[in-house]
Amino acid sequence: MTQTLAKDHQTIRTQAVAAEQAAIGLADFNLWYEDFQALHNVSLSFPKYQVTALIGASGCGKSTLLRSINRMNDLVPTVRVSGGVHYEGVDLYDPTVDPVEVRRRIGMVFQKPNPFPKSIYDNVAFGPRIKGYKGDMDALVEKSLRSAALWDEVKDKLKQSGLSLSGGQQQRLCIARAMATDPDVILMDEPTSALDPIATDRIEQLINEIKDNYTVIIVTHNMQQAGRVSDRTAFMHLGVLVEEGPTDQIFTNPKHQMTERYISGHFG
Amino acid sequence: MSVSRPGKSSSIAQTPAGSITSPQAQARIRRRQQVNRLFAFLTFTPVFLALSLLTVLFFDVLTDSVSWQIVEPRNSGQSFALSQAFGSRAVIRLELLAQGKTSEEIEAFFADAEALRKFKARNRVELMWYTADGPFRWIVSNSRDKRISDIGLFEGWGQRQELLASLKEGQSLYLNPWFDFSFFTKNASRTPIMAGLSSAFFGTLWVIGLVILISLPLGVGGALYLEEYAPDNRWTRLLEVNLRNLAGVPSIVYGILGLSVFVRLLNIGPTVLAAAATLSLLILPVIVMASREAIRAVPTSLRLASYGLGATKWQTVSKVVLPNAVSGIVTGVILAVARAIGETAPLLLVGAAAFVPYSPNSPLSKYTVLPIQIYSWVSENDAEFKHVASAGIIVLLIVLLVLYGFAFVIRRRFRRNW
Repeated sequence: MTQTLAKDHQTIRTQAVAAEQAAIGLADFNLWYEDFQALHNVSLSFPKYQVTALIGASGCGKSTLLRSINRMNDLVPTVRVSGGVHYEGVDLYDPTVDPVEVRRRIGMVFQKPNPFPKSIYDNVAFGPRIKGYKGDMDALVEKSLRSAALWDEVKDKLKQSGLSLSGGQQQRLCIARAMATDPDVILMDEPTSALDPIATDRIEQLINEIKDNYTVIIVTHNMQQAGRVSDRTAFMHLGVLVEEGPTDQIFTNPKHQMTERYISGHFG
Repeated sequence: MSVSRPGKSSSIAQTPAGSITSPQAQARIRRRQQVNRLFAFLTFTPVFLALSLLTVLFFDVLTDSVSWQIVEPRNSGQSFALSQAFGSRAVIRLELLAQGKTSEEIEAFFADAEALRKFKARNRVELMWYTADGPFRWIVSNSRDKRISDIGLFEGWGQRQELLASLKEGQSLYLNPWFDFSFFTKNASRTPIMAGLSSAFFGTLWVIGLVILISLPLGVGGALYLEEYAPDNRWTRLLEVNLRNLAGVPSIVYGILGLSVFVRLLNIGPTVLAAAATLSLLILPVIVMASREAIRAVPTSLRLASYGLGATKWQTVSKVVLPNAVSGIVTGVILAVARAIGETAPLLLVGAAAFVPYSPNSPLSKYTVLPIQIYSWVSENDAEFKHVASAGIIVLLIVLLVLYGFAFVIRRRFRRNW
């Protein structure tokens, strides 16, 4: 990386998302881990029912950005933020907003499949149960597993441990688990980096299937993956949002030199 | 054997390494293997020592809990009267008569002042008579039988023929298992054959039950606070250091604390409750540390998954962290409780009685516990109590073994593959 980037860099936007289309919008968002500033003035909108990919080299802040959206960063005691994350007209960092409520509406899937060491059924039912869901749990579990394209594989062994599944199945179980709480937005933090190519393909198909009902934001290291699954792509570098726009646009005609260098594999 | 390769200078080809089968190399390999063998042997030595000492312990305790006894059904009975008036010549005469001595022998016995002195009172109901031909003979009065003599397992086996030959009319030789079912139903007694550990066994159950009730919620709660809630600051770290130190404080110190706080200040007295509170203090640091390790071993990814699904802190702790830490916590608690079961010193201070002929029936009862009962048996003069103590040690070891087995099963049952 020969080029340094000004911290007050103005993000290059191609076909910016209209405000009424946005499910979530970050405005001048800054984040510090103690004295280290991990995000610099990030302003970014995620359109409803579309897949947005966050790409960038390791340590560029894309996972931090993702975790800021459902306030998972609150769990790190040293984190400070400024600026806002807007969701349905509410600033999620407003003091009156409870992070627990945020996370119930904005689900998350992690890098490494992390099913609870419980049965498949209990894994999916965990979210609804802690919310005090009173409806038909069996139906909800089935619906969630079907949405995650896992039902046919596990319908006869719902009582078996979630850990007995293969890595790809575990990750789809985690997606089903996230969908069972009926969120609007699903955040995915490199969901396929621990999986083999076949399992990765299933997850990517799944992402394409669920985007009709969910706004998906996915962090990925894999640029081909970003190209395959996302509608829009945002490129970050050293905590700065360098460029964002439709995925085709970013990949075929990047405006910023850094974006081009990253996409063509010069660094990262 | 060294082969110089083209393009390499001969000095390299003749370096000491040479061929890997050269004599120098082989000597080097031998030396290395010797060192390896030496280290392997050294690491095995402590294991071997521990195993052999353990074998000796078990062997010793098991063989001590069985002895040969010559028993006479209680019909001569006169010896029982000795309990009231030992030392009186008339009684000794009666006893000697009962043993079938002729009147000449008895007169000869009384004529010899030396022989008379060999009658020794052991306690109010026993007399011991040294004789020239046997080691000694016991005259023990007892509710059922008269025990003539008591001989160790191997010694008795060696002398079996002579012992059988020496049996008098109505006497019989048999192997007395001191550790039998009645051992659990009998209470403390001054007579070895009457002594059992019922009261000590139930005393231990009472004390340990209360210890678990007190220390489990306190210990797990403390561990949860330190791991999940406490801020990471100077005070927390000070607390952690002190916790470690507390686990190493000698148990007698906890005894002094229990005596001054529970027995005197809170005026609970020398009761089961005071003992349980003292032992709980003793094992709390161990439980807190074991529970913290177990809680810390729950992967962060599971916590994040729970938070990510919108769980509150308490929901995460109670539904994800605790269920996954339970095997570690229970194992730690059981090991700590096993330590509490074996503790003697602090209980001596807070007033466990050496002689309690009844089982406790409330937390405010007087009590004794297994190790203290064993201790008091070992310190008895009467050699027969050695067998009783061995039987008591067997019970204590079985109780501990059951607990360790329980911990093992729980660890297996709840083992997780993350």
